[in-house]
Amino acid sequence: MKWTGDLAHFPYPFKGSTYRYSNNSIPMKQPYCIEVTSSYKKEMLFKRKLLSDHPERCYQSLPHSITGQWEIVEIVIDHLVSQYPQDFSIEQENNRWIFTNKILDEKKEFIFGEKNSLPCEPLFFISQHVQEDLIYMRQRDDNLYLDAGQLCFPANWSLAFNIGMKFKSIHHPIPGFKEEGLDQRILQFLMRLEAGTPWERLNWSLMAGDRLDTSLETFNQWGRLRKQVTSENAGELVHIRVEVQKLFRLPRTNSILFSIHTHLLALEQLATNIEWLQQFYEILSELPDHIVEYKGISTYKKAVLKYLEKQLQQVKTL
Amino acid sequence: MYIEPTLFVRVSSIEKITKQVKKFTLFPETGKELPRFSGGAHISTYLKIPSGLIVRQYSLVSHPDKRSNYEIAVRLSENSKGGSLHWHQGMKVGDRLQISYPKNHFSLSFKARHHVFYAAGIGITPFLSMMQDISTNRQTFELHYASKSEESCVFHSYIKKHYPNQSHFYFSDQHQRLQTTSLANHPIGTHVYFCGPEGFIEQFRTASIELGYPILSIHSERFSPPKPIVLKAFQVKIHNGITINVSKTETILEALHKHGIIAPYSCQIGRCGTCELPVLKGRVDHYDSFLSDEQKEANNCIIPCVSRAKSDKLVIEIK
Repeated sequence: MKWTGDLAHFPYPFKGSTYRYSNNSIPMKQPYCIEVTSSYKKEMLFKRKLLSDHPERCYQSLPHSITGQWEIVEIVIDHLVSQYPQDFSIEQENNRWIFTNKILDEKKEFIFGEKNSLPCEPLFFISQHVQEDLIYMRQRDDNLYLDAGQLCFPANWSLAFNIGMKFKSIHHPIPGFKEEGLDQRILQFLMRLEAGTPWERLNWSLMAGDRLDTSLETFNQWGRLRKQVTSENAGELVHIRVEVQKLFRLPRTNSILFSIHTHLLALEQLATNIEWLQQFYEILSELPDHIVEYKGISTYKKAVLKYLEKQLQQVKTL
Repeated sequence: MYIEPTLFVRVSSIEKITKQVKKFTLFPETGKELPRFSGGAHISTYLKIPSGLIVRQYSLVSHPDKRSNYEIAVRLSENSKGGSLHWHQGMKVGDRLQISYPKNHFSLSFKARHHVFYAAGIGITPFLSMMQDISTNRQTFELHYASKSEESCVFHSYIKKHYPNQSHFYFSDQHQRLQTTSLANHPIGTHVYFCGPEGFIEQFRTASIELGYPILSIHSERFSPPKPIVLKAFQVKIHNGITINVSKTETILEALHKHGIIAPYSCQIGRCGTCELPVLKGRVDHYDSFLSDEQKEANNCIIPCVSRAKSDKLVIEIK
């Protein structure tokens, strides 16, 4: 959601003065797969509406993912309760669990591992309580497959299209990813993830507008805004979209939980930090064409650069 | 050096199950439950003994969904360098130790139509949790288990009771021999799994390959002790530029950065692969957990945040 908090806490994604694709993962200091922010309530309502209006777009699963889905329920509840004990609680009596979400004033009772004790699949259930999109990658026969996922806020991709696909096939559209051997390297890294050592990385792109739900299926609704960007309105219209991505090994099914928390920041807000403004200007000016194209910036890159130059000039004349 | 995160446990019971094998039950010290695991998983155990730290891997033999405790079975090895000897003679109920989170390098194939396990002696251990997983998934399997005698056969009565139709025992004191010929009798789509002494695994692997089993349908597990790190100074030459010294106490990556050379990196513990660099000359001493064995043997790349040089000098390429 559009960043409303303190800028000092914004997950600013850049280091150095150039950007290239890489596995910029680092071991997490706080090993939690979820984060509750000030826009929790608003985002949950929005997410639930998307899930009920467009289930095929926002939720997909293969039948053999159910055990893994329960693992996700277990880890997410554990992290919610440990990190936010004032907002979430769990009572466990053998396999009978009662989960309480105090922010939304909801109580849910179910039998852990018993599919029929919930009105929906376990992953669908728990995803209604967290701002993150949750993706389940099953490791089987020396490869990783997208076997289940809840995705409401994709950065221009389609869960319905990618369900059941292998890691490399999913990332095939990224230009240079295969040619540079990065797909194999990152697959290798992911298959060696270990329980107890979760990882985190930041991914970014630019977008015209401030929609969280930029799925491939609705491109016709949000893509056209790209043509409306000018150097005058770029500060307000264009947003940097940052995904905080977290990777956890799920030891019961030897699979991976990939959680994505999306944040949007208007360029005019980014520009209030002079170091960020300067660094982002350098990175965007230098960014290779194939990355500009893939991130969907080509149409309005010039307008954004012009806007950033103007801001930099103003800073210098002050 | 990077030390993996660990869990603190205490020994809650020790049971002698055969003449040479003891079963240890480990319960979490914090009261928080232990992680679940998947069939075929193991843990590393860290034992502090006067001469230093001993790290050993053992398969988990308890139920994968049991979170209140873990069980491992340890065989006293004739030429023990301290690991099993300490487990057998030094360990007492109540003793505290560190274990890793569960890992699995010997997992069940997902696409297999049928699973066949070949175990020799203490090599039975990873198959116990695998059989439990298969039974829940309603898949089919068979077990061929060789042991010196019925008395020394670990978990014999348990297996006989729970898997009477799937298990076959071969006791050498009764002149029964487990032979590779049975590999020829399994239906198409079978995956075979071997665990036991090195020679046993090698014999069955070779026979399977000769019979035409696809490589990906053959699974085996070997535990290898972690490699002790050799810290010596050496030189690194950038292919078109300067030569820099890497001291005993710094990494190649640190030395590069100290000289103002731009080299990308991320995790700094040899796992993410971001800092990988091509090697043009010199022999690499690999310490990372990122490159595969084949990539390491090729000796043409290095993970400079942890790996070092075996030779006095390495020539690397930085664009």
